[in-house]
Amino acid sequence: MNERLKGLYKTIILEHNKTPFFYKKNEEATYVLKAYNQICGDRFELYFEVRNGVIEDLTFHGFGCAISKASTSILVKNLKGKNFVKALLCCRQFLSVTNLERKNEKNLGEEFEAFSAAKEFPGRLKCATLAWDEMVVFLENGGQLRMDG
Amino acid sequence: MIELKNIKSHFPIFQHHPDLVYLDNAATTQKPQSVIDVISNFYKKENANIHRGIYPLAVSASQKYEAVRGKVAQFLNAKSADEIVYTSGTTASINLVAHSFLSPRLKQGDEVIISAMEHHANLIPWQMVCKKAGAHFRVIPMNEKGELDLAFFKTMLSRKVKLVAITHISNSLGTINPIEEMIDLAHQKDIPVLVDGAQSVAHYPIDLQALDVDFFTFSGHKIFGPTGIGILYGKKQYLNGMQPHQFGGDMIKNVTFESSIFADAPQRFEAGTTNIAGVIGLGAAIDFVNELDRNEVLVFLKEIENNLISKLLEINDLSIFGQAKNKSTIVSFSMKNIHPHDIATFLGAENIAVRAGHHCTQPVMDFFQIPATTRASFSIYNQAEEVDFFVEKIKEIKQFFG
Repeated sequence: MNERLKGLYKTIILEHNKTPFFYKKNEEATYVLKAYNQICGDRFELYFEVRNGVIEDLTFHGFGCAISKASTSILVKNLKGKNFVKALLCCRQFLSVTNLERKNEKNLGEEFEAFSAAKEFPGRLKCATLAWDEMVVFLENGGQLRMDG
Repeated sequence: MIELKNIKSHFPIFQHHPDLVYLDNAATTQKPQSVIDVISNFYKKENANIHRGIYPLAVSASQKYEAVRGKVAQFLNAKSADEIVYTSGTTASINLVAHSFLSPRLKQGDEVIISAMEHHANLIPWQMVCKKAGAHFRVIPMNEKGELDLAFFKTMLSRKVKLVAITHISNSLGTINPIEEMIDLAHQKDIPVLVDGAQSVAHYPIDLQALDVDFFTFSGHKIFGPTGIGILYGKKQYLNGMQPHQFGGDMIKNVTFESSIFADAPQRFEAGTTNIAGVIGLGAAIDFVNELDRNEVLVFLKEIENNLISKLLEINDLSIFGQAKNKSTIVSFSMKNIHPHDIATFLGAENIAVRAGHHCTQPVMDFFQIPATTRASFSIYNQAEEVDFFVEKIKEIKQFFG
């Protein structure tokens, strides 16, 4: 097995891909956020229940590659229970891992750091950031869905 | 004559990437040294604009440019070089027919027929023209194997149908459609037919006069030639009756401020300075293909296809999309619980180039209720051993993600 591939498909990513966290639809959700990559067809829906500015429940469902599925699983696991401010901070931390010009070398934990190898696969970078990018737009808009969302 | 067993040495890409297993030939083919040289030499030694200058370089460039037209006509067995229009590729060729041929003839309530397996390039142009005219856009259905329903096709043909546009070989399923029979059926009702030959022309000999097809399109880059050059073949009676789609220099007989008279086909469709080096490169690509034993190519590719499909079918949880009786070496597949992009990334790290995605055929993906497939497509420089290597890696992927 190729070493570069081992770097990309770390055990933790494969585990999240196989048994993702909070992987279910929620018809009662306050918001449904769609993360869609038109280039490859990856499509996830994130179901929120928000009370008093806190993401009390967060699940996801959809179709995507191992990287995008694991990344979304890690997103819901980390953002659940956070208020919008803390959630946005968390998103920015995650996205700093895949940022090609990353300066902050502080270790952000195994789950986040697992995605740093995606930088060596430019075609796969979007897989790692798909749900996180959408989440940032949502949170920066104060929890408003985009018109096309 | 170029022998298949030595053919890799004609393609410099394999000297630069000795381990490359290139299985993305349905997207674009690699270029032989002769094509690269002819383009490079044109710019180095022969560059001039065509049809205008009377100095020797311009005359020579014009002659070379026009000679390729004759070469293409001969290669496809068209009746005359005047039936060969240079375009930027298959997409531009189809759009030209949609705008210049179909659009002016299409009235409300008319019909246009395509098939269920068309590339977006042979779908959207007709869809747009139909919408504008209020015409019906109809689709020949296919079965689970990816074969068109000819019996149903027969019932679709009526006086209302103004054009049938079908692909010769499906770029996502590999199906080889029975175009001879389909053209014949359409002609019985006097309906013109366009065949998209993008996936067929490199490997399958085409005889336009025997087919009696009305329009035929292909791209240079899928037949070992450069990108940005393509061909529209049209029967003379249709081409000369078509209004140009683009206007400008080099496509006129006479221009005044009051009006302009357009040149005859094919020049009337080639406004502005065209891709001259691309045309000359395409000529070299056709020379290259003419040096092959085309029957040997077909036998070789059939062996690859049979070997590949039988080995892939042995793998559990692997599905092949498109198992038509008459099929080319384009093989689309999926693996249970493994995303096509993970497969393609894994193979890419092993120097195997494949494509993952919807292959510009989203309705085909919808038909099989899948978002994407992984596609391996073979050509003349692939080796029998590459099939084994590919299958071995597919098994490793299954183990890895399993």
